[in-house]
Amino acid sequence: MKAERKCKIGILAAGTALTAAFSLVLPVGTISGNGISDGAPSGNPASVSAAESSGKVTLRIANWEEYIDEGGWDEEEAIDLDDRESTVILGENSMIEDFEEWYLDTYGVEVEVEYSTFGTNEDLYNQLTLGNDFDLVCPSEYMFMKLIAEDRLQPLSDSFFDEENENNYYIRGVSDYIRNIFDTNTINGEPWSSYAAGYMWGTTGIVYNPEVISEEEASHWSILADPKYKGQVTIKDNVRDSYFAALGMLNEEALLEPDFISSPDRLERIAELMNQTDEETVKEAEAILKQMKENAYSFESDSGKADMVTGKVLANYQWSGDAVYTLDQAEIDDYYLAYAVPEECTNIWFDGWVMLKDGIEGDDARQQAAEAFINFMSRPDNVVRNMYYIGYTSVIAGGDSDIIYAYADWCYGAEDDAEDTIEYPVGFFFSGDNADEDYIITAEADQVNRQLFAQYPPQDVLERAVVMQYFDQENNERINQMWVNVRCFDLTELTPQDWAKIAAVLTAVIAAVVIYKKRDDIRQLKRK
Amino acid sequence: MKGFRFSRKQLCIPYALFLICFVVLPLAVIVYYAFTDGSGRFTLENLLNFFTNGNTIGTLCYSAVIAVVVTAVCLLIAYPVAYVLARSGLKRGPVLLMLFILPMWINFTLRITALKEILTVLEGNLSLHPFLNTVIGMTYDYLPFMILPLYTTLLQLDQSLLEAAQDLGAGPVSVFSRVTLPLSMPGIASGITMTFLPAMTNYVILDMMYNSTYIMGSLIGSYFNIYDWNNGSMISLILFALICIVSLFTGGEDQDDAKNRGAVL
Repeated sequence: MKAERKCKIGILAAGTALTAAFSLVLPVGTISGNGISDGAPSGNPASVSAAESSGKVTLRIANWEEYIDEGGWDEEEAIDLDDRESTVILGENSMIEDFEEWYLDTYGVEVEVEYSTFGTNEDLYNQLTLGNDFDLVCPSEYMFMKLIAEDRLQPLSDSFFDEENENNYYIRGVSDYIRNIFDTNTINGEPWSSYAAGYMWGTTGIVYNPEVISEEEASHWSILADPKYKGQVTIKDNVRDSYFAALGMLNEEALLEPDFISSPDRLERIAELMNQTDEETVKEAEAILKQMKENAYSFESDSGKADMVTGKVLANYQWSGDAVYTLDQAEIDDYYLAYAVPEECTNIWFDGWVMLKDGIEGDDARQQAAEAFINFMSRPDNVVRNMYYIGYTSVIAGGDSDIIYAYADWCYGAEDDAEDTIEYPVGFFFSGDNADEDYIITAEADQVNRQLFAQYPPQDVLERAVVMQYFDQENNERINQMWVNVRCFDLTELTPQDWAKIAAVLTAVIAAVVIYKKRDDIRQLKRK
Repeated sequence: MKGFRFSRKQLCIPYALFLICFVVLPLAVIVYYAFTDGSGRFTLENLLNFFTNGNTIGTLCYSAVIAVVVTAVCLLIAYPVAYVLARSGLKRGPVLLMLFILPMWINFTLRITALKEILTVLEGNLSLHPFLNTVIGMTYDYLPFMILPLYTTLLQLDQSLLEAAQDLGAGPVSVFSRVTLPLSMPGIASGITMTFLPAMTNYVILDMMYNSTYIMGSLIGSYFNIYDWNNGSMISLILFALICIVSLFTGGEDQDDAKNRGAVL
């Protein structure tokens, strides 16, 4: 999940200092909380053998807050899917409990999941740095790219990719489109897929109020800097998303040129343009971001959704998953919003499962449990439970099972008596062929720029959806510095008039203090 | 057997432990990070960065201006309130005081959220006056911290001194400027310390008020967010030093008075 909660940073910083204080004094890891399972620190080989002898595996998982089905559904919430077998899906217990049960049934091994959550990718990274051991975590793509680059991840085993094994729900069910991205994106020559299995994915775009803003206007990054909507748009409060928007606006002309759009290597060329980090580009992006800062209602991580729903703002830079949530919330109040993906390009993002070397420590039993957890989360009925609970889009298409498509149809398929409907193909995701007649949802016409569009973007959007790479140290520092420049108060922006005002106020204050201090002297002078 | 007896000194052991764990150690860690680079070698570069980087200086100035304005506004509002509550002999003085303190019982994020809605109604669009909103938000939040010490000081003010001044022919203005005001200085100093310092760093209010310009707190947070603990720690340390200087400045002058009267909250 990309939702970040800014106010956590203060707590994080304080916590960081405190934890750092402890880890200097105590051997790293002993206070992690996770390390104390079964009465012995996990780093100690003794505990591994203890676990083996009792046959019990402890699996430490860290995931985003509210990013997994926690069960406890009412009977009425049951999803009655109209697939081949007409499946009924009901989250009775939490996903974690179900996994523990399933793992014992399937592998005959008892597993105990220690589940914890984090609020931001940086939060997770800091926890890892401070010696908190996890076996399996679910960061966003740029963070797992960073972890791959730092050689901290345990590669997925060969058996995980064995499509013959019917318990390997991930590899049997993952959408070919997503699989291709995970295979072709590399870090230091190694594909993502060697280390990471996808969980949720989406695009970035603009949630807007269609009564005021036209679809055409909302379909360009430049709306974020449009003075026409001064104080009525929000921007993301993190450097990567904001930098992407700035580059989109900077390269608008090039990206929209007909020759560019029709070129066969369009996607590669967009990726190249949108991953520039040279000094000149960063400087130009800084100017654009300053313009956006002037224009924006707020830089937000979380509050944008509410501000959009309550109508305080008209447009909102948003991740597709949160866009669905925003649209749903607004709909409750009969307020209809829409979602647009800029015509220049969009950032395709992922949250994915990765295993940590420091956690797994070469323990095969633990790695097996971790991989089984990924597979369990990828089992079609569980995918539906998670998607229903979180509102994001899973990377799993379902493979042999058509439950997930049936769920999409259950969510967005028009009623039989609906008048204004459209045929919305989602075949690119489910079968790799957008023309596949088995995967066409008959939806209400407005879904073409609403939830369905956000959750399963059409093919033309994916033809301009690129991954934002993880930048190396030097480039990262340059971009971060640029971001601080944008956000900090720039003394050089003050005009001579401003300086004169400041000087006047200061003089007045100093004079007042002096007069007050010397009041007795002054009085005496007067008497004389 | 002559058992173990608690002396007063031993009573402070838990407190000392608390101080070591939660004040001294974290501070030591901050100092450590402030004077090392990413690989743990000693360096003064972070210190140099602070003074050569236009951003940190700009942010420092911006935070200082916010803090000064908030403190001044708080003082201007709080002094008359505290004066009336303490000196006018209102029967329900303590109840009225309670009304001013009452908001502190509610978590400040909730209060600021509510204030935001009110300001939205008044201003139409919050983002048009980020500085003003920040000042309003912080003033709202810190006002009780200014009223309380002032109220305590003014309440303990010796009535006979005022009567003496009047008997000796001082008018109401003179009595106030030459007796009441100087005698309430400890309360003012304590109030300033309690408002100025948090106003420099409380970026949550700033954030909630949609002011997208960093103050010191957010700048430190941003460094920690990009794993640059060294520069972040250095900024914290310098801010800490500044705070110490301000405390000495406001506390030192009237320290004797404060001691004599026990007026500091």
